[in-house]
Amino acid sequence: MGNFDAFEQGLASPNGNGRLPNGHGCPKDSPSVDNQLKFSAPAYTEIRTRRCNAKAAAESKNASSSTYHPERKVLLNGHAAAAREHKSECKPNQAEGKLSPEMEHYQKTSFEEVPMHTACLTYLGFYLLMILGYINQLLFVPKVATEKGREGYVALYDAFESFYSRYVYRRIKDCWNRPICSVPGDELTLKDRVTDDYGWSFKFTGTETRCLNLGSYNYLGFAAATGRCADESEERARDAGLAYCSSRCELGNNAQLEELEKLTARYFGVEDAIVFGMGFATNALNLPSLLGPNCMVVSDEKNHASIILGLRLSGATIKVFKHNNMRDLERVLRDGICYGNTKNGGKPWSKVMIIVEGIFSMEGSIVRLPEVVALKKKYKAYLYLDEAHSVGAMGSHGRGVTDYYKVDPKDVDILMGTFTKSFGSAGGYLAGSKKLIDFLRTNSHAHCYAGSISPPIAQQILTSMKTIMGEDGTETGRNKIMQLARNTRYFRRRLAQLGVITYGHEDSPVVPMLVYLFSKIGAVVRTLTTRHIAVVGAGFPATPIMEGRIRFCLSAAHTKEQLDYALEVIDETSDDLGLKYSRKPRDPNPIEY
Amino acid sequence: MTSIAGGHGEPNPNSSWLSARGFWLAYFLGLLSIHLILLSVPFVSISWAWTATNLIHNARSLFAQAHLYFLHIIKGAPWLSIENDPSRRWTHWEQIDDGIQMTTTRKFLTAVPIVLFLLTCLYTRNSTEHFIANFVSLVVVTLPKLPQFHGVRLFNINKY
Repeated sequence: MGNFDAFEQGLASPNGNGRLPNGHGCPKDSPSVDNQLKFSAPAYTEIRTRRCNAKAAAESKNASSSTYHPERKVLLNGHAAAAREHKSECKPNQAEGKLSPEMEHYQKTSFEEVPMHTACLTYLGFYLLMILGYINQLLFVPKVATEKGREGYVALYDAFESFYSRYVYRRIKDCWNRPICSVPGDELTLKDRVTDDYGWSFKFTGTETRCLNLGSYNYLGFAAATGRCADESEERARDAGLAYCSSRCELGNNAQLEELEKLTARYFGVEDAIVFGMGFATNALNLPSLLGPNCMVVSDEKNHASIILGLRLSGATIKVFKHNNMRDLERVLRDGICYGNTKNGGKPWSKVMIIVEGIFSMEGSIVRLPEVVALKKKYKAYLYLDEAHSVGAMGSHGRGVTDYYKVDPKDVDILMGTFTKSFGSAGGYLAGSKKLIDFLRTNSHAHCYAGSISPPIAQQILTSMKTIMGEDGTETGRNKIMQLARNTRYFRRRLAQLGVITYGHEDSPVVPMLVYLFSKIGAVVRTLTTRHIAVVGAGFPATPIMEGRIRFCLSAAHTKEQLDYALEVIDETSDDLGLKYSRKPRDPNPIEY
Repeated sequence: MTSIAGGHGEPNPNSSWLSARGFWLAYFLGLLSIHLILLSVPFVSISWAWTATNLIHNARSLFAQAHLYFLHIIKGAPWLSIENDPSRRWTHWEQIDDGIQMTTTRKFLTAVPIVLFLLTCLYTRNSTEHFIANFVSLVVVTLPKLPQFHGVRLFNINKY
């Protein structure tokens, strides 16, 4: 098991040429030599000329060279479709007033249902895993599970509760938490590890694999160790140190953070903003300040755990509506408001708040913002929009879903987001009216008790935000947004053409590809790693049991050649593993970039 | 473990995985395969009816055991629950759909033992001992499914 040559080679080749030791279970295909070459720009173009020659004839050559020009007029949906004007492929959209928001959403989103035999096989696969796990649990006690020196004490772990993590998750545990040793930009370097005892422990082999990175939340490509953001952050770290170690209300406040807040407010076009050191905590600790026991919250089915935790801490009454379903939302709002607070004898609620996310990162779907805003106004509720994944990634100016749908940001009462994904930094923000932010400055636990954002991190946010807004004087921000939009459209269309099922809206840079069976998640992740692509898989219980998926996160840093390479590999892998479930008609024409 | 990959997933996936698409078919197939395996055990092939009888009966009571055990005796969920929510003390049956009674899944799972019982009576031609055994196991399995028994622990068995 594993590749013993790697052990003997030791620390020989740091760039993983030819030896690919991974966790057990990776298929022993012998990829052709050109696949194992290092991945810098020359290798990509080389692969392109050799393998894509057949496709090059189909691809119109002018598509990649002349259409991409930053000064070209951009259509409202945020991508340079200028090249397509002559083909009149521009779909009518809501922002142009040609199509109602409902129809547009319906047209652009797809959540194809699983074929019945696959669903059955998934269940049977789980049964088998469970049965084997039970037998395993009865017969063998793993050495990590025996507790020494604890006679007379209650066991630390209940055998039933740790069943899943020990007997199901452990088998493909090598696909998660993989250590890397480079900055996770468009490519990353994985440290290879092997497991001798079937997933209980891992050992590093000493070699590394350079992979194309399709798993990091790096939408605008700011995750880089070089470049202007990195230089300015480094300077700032030298000037101001690494952390203030104090809350904003005491010693942790400084001019840079005030500047950051003003810049954030200007970025969104609202009155004021407040920033926090941690994105998860922004949700979890501010929702209790905003909501209390006599409030009703209507939250989407697939909201993030930070929102759910914040809501539970606040003590408000939570009502869940079906994911992105406007009729269900209306029904829940109506019932809630008509019947009042049932725990209080039917008195009216003091606040009704709708909580949705901009892009739902497990589904790849985008919230139907114009309709939610219309409902909010009709029923006089507040709207809290969590733009963790959509700020920077959506909209023609990178301002998020409000920009994408051309909705006035002042219509959304509370805009929340994180700096982790598109800005390449860490932390979260809340933006809205001055009254709201003033309230939060005194009443928010995350502001008064938690430490402030560290100076180099804040500098990274400042630099990247100015770049996106174009205030640094270059066109880099604009280019990045364009590039991301083109990558998204291209990748999603090519995947649909291959015939795999992907979920979500066609403009969201998060692309979940469905593999359904639990073991296929492991197979795909391992196979793609041997082919030098790093992806993230997600299965039960993070997703519904039927829908195991591989989630691709596209980035503006990806070039077309990298995407083409990835798509080829995905094509071959899905042929081998049988992932082409889609029953929709496939577009026979070659897709232009 | 419900916070794999940074916090996705619902707070208790145990409540909804039984209602996903394809479960009913997979359940039937599983039941059918157990039945066929038992049918093919060689030492009980004296006569066809007697075979089918005993085997369905065995499958039935064996299955009632399985049914009983997985749905009604084990509490909590097989992944580490870091939260102190009430589902730690609920059996899987009570966790389905977070406690709402009479949903489609619950109706399906209540109907299956009953249908199986009727089939068994058909094949055993209502002979007394088989009937008694099957009836007892049916009652034991159907009682906890009634809405009145939600959360009830008779004689404090299985309370904590």
